[in-house]
Amino acid sequence: MDEIFTKALQDLLSAHCAPSVVRAVEAQGLQDKTSSAATDLWQAIADSGFANAMVPESHGGAGLSMAEAFALFELCGRFVVPLPLAETMVARAWAAKRSLAAPQAWVDLDWVDATARTMPQLPGLDAGLDTQALRAAVVAAQMAGALQRVLEMTLNFANERQQFGRALGKFQAIQHQLALMAEQTLAARMAAQMGCAGFAGLGAAHLGSPDDAQTDRLRAGIAKARASEAAVVVTDLAHSIHGAIGFTDAFDLQLFTRGLHAWRQSAGSESYWHQQIGDALVNQHTGRAIDSLRAATDAPNLPDTSR
Amino acid sequence: MLASLQHTSIAPEDEALRGLVRAFLRDVLRDVPAPVRAKSWMGYDPAFSRALGQQGWLGLTLSQAYGGAGRSAMARYVLVEELLNAGAPVGSHWIADRQSAPLILKYGTEAQKQRYLPAICRGESFFCIGMSEPNAGSDLASVKTRAIPTEHGGQAGWRLNGQKIWTSNAHNCHYMIALVRTSGEAADRQKGLSQVIVDLSLPGVTVRPIKDLTGDSQFCEVFFDDVALRADALIGLEGGGWAQVTAELAFERSGPERIYSSMVLFDEWLAWIRTPEGKSPESARLAGKLFSQLAPLRAMSIAVTDKIVNGESPVVEAALVKDLGVTLEQLMPTAIADDLFSRDANKVPLALLQSLAYVTKVAPSFSLRGGTRDILRGMIARGLGLR
Repeated sequence: MDEIFTKALQDLLSAHCAPSVVRAVEAQGLQDKTSSAATDLWQAIADSGFANAMVPESHGGAGLSMAEAFALFELCGRFVVPLPLAETMVARAWAAKRSLAAPQAWVDLDWVDATARTMPQLPGLDAGLDTQALRAAVVAAQMAGALQRVLEMTLNFANERQQFGRALGKFQAIQHQLALMAEQTLAARMAAQMGCAGFAGLGAAHLGSPDDAQTDRLRAGIAKARASEAAVVVTDLAHSIHGAIGFTDAFDLQLFTRGLHAWRQSAGSESYWHQQIGDALVNQHTGRAIDSLRAATDAPNLPDTSR
Repeated sequence: MLASLQHTSIAPEDEALRGLVRAFLRDVLRDVPAPVRAKSWMGYDPAFSRALGQQGWLGLTLSQAYGGAGRSAMARYVLVEELLNAGAPVGSHWIADRQSAPLILKYGTEAQKQRYLPAICRGESFFCIGMSEPNAGSDLASVKTRAIPTEHGGQAGWRLNGQKIWTSNAHNCHYMIALVRTSGEAADRQKGLSQVIVDLSLPGVTVRPIKDLTGDSQFCEVFFDDVALRADALIGLEGGGWAQVTAELAFERSGPERIYSSMVLFDEWLAWIRTPEGKSPESARLAGKLFSQLAPLRAMSIAVTDKIVNGESPVVEAALVKDLGVTLEQLMPTAIADDLFSRDANKVPLALLQSLAYVTKVAPSFSLRGGTRDILRGMIARGLGLR
């Protein structure tokens, strides 16, 4: 995907989704869609067109696939965007490909479920669309962004904070904790990227086969499970290294660590997905694990990242 | 800040090797029981190595001029992944194929390449790594083994004295590539170190296997007592040994052997928990947990290999994948034991219990060989800009 998209969303969120905005939206809540902080933020996003990033070009969007949109989902996590922007992107793509009108405001995948239930049952239309797996993939991608942000904040803090006459980051114990955070963060990011590799079934024109749907679900489950495991380690170590300042309401770290815990608790925790994946491994897969691993790992239609 | 690893694919021409390797292994390993296959790359069989050589699968990335196949590092990844998942006894040629041959190819003279590489590719020449010494473990720069330049009747050479230890498979190898001091003093640290190829059949070389806690004699101590080396025993630059060893360790740490050491055990256990007797919700959940940690590790390991294919030297990324990988390799035997012994273990197949017993014992070595946890985490910290 063109880095222009990522850069543009990053600029937009830097300008309109600062921690003060996240706090204001959180204070006012999302139920009231007229609350000023949320509607101001949504207006900026709507004006930019990013909510239509995955809508086909023929319908006025940018036509990004899930794999290509991963970088945008990641940014939503990096800024803990307090609106379901990532889910709106997916929901609007789903609607456009079925020539349905999507609401002007933000929506989440519950809207997709509710809308799908009211539609006439066309044979095979929703084959390959597993909103539970989609939700897991989208949440995991946002967690990957937030994990990277927490790692960076903690690295900066460790480099700046002086104790015993030197920076915290010069102490071996702290260095090793940061190394662990980096390991967890990179593993979660890779899992999350894998989680968004499929979902060709999002488009009515490219209905996924049942096999594809199973693999999409496997990958999304791995993504959500791995990101949730990483969130526990990374938030724990981030708070430990930050000390008391990180526990204050005024310091921004808490926005991201609370966000990570909230995401961990949505779309299925790690044990939920471990059970789902394990049941598939035991009851559906056969033979050595390497072939299941290859199915989960090998990318079906990777975006060209060499550009 | 560390660059992220990108999810990438194995090219179809590299993937094409998988079926051939698998068919070959199905044949060769048909009668090898799981507890033997569970030894993974600690299993030794020179005849198997020669058979692989006959297939053209040793020195896969070397050019055909030196007996190799001129394939990519990713093709080698596919080959090695299949070997490890099948539990093939790759130990005899392992070091020569993984790091000695690439090292000789990169730093050797034409004569050295011609002398050593074709024999490695035939599976007839086995190498070990002479790095650690009794007082130089993680602190590798403090090696004391010394090669002194000599001259006898107009013939230049080296006289080697000292001791190496924890040298895997030395008693079954033809050569050691040793890191030794060729100039300066211990205080000079990395300066004055060089690599020499030692023919282990030379007078003055004594190899003593050391029994490890699994009961195997897999690693050795090696003594050098006035060993006379020819001038061309030196590989690469005199005084350039530290840089060469560092580059070699990138090969040593980046491969799939850092995620698959417990795979034969995992597959044996998975087969059992698919049977009516072995099946339980708890074991399925555990399988899902181990699998969901393994899958992103495989993708990361492939991403590191992709960097090598593109001519990069992803030293820090390789250290990161290794530390995560061995953590999972070590979790597998402990978690599987917990599952099996949470119920009536009398029903568990003997081969599974034997595999578990071996992997449980050997697991501590996973986070020692190729750099301890603390060394690797220090390298990651450096990659994060903390050092």
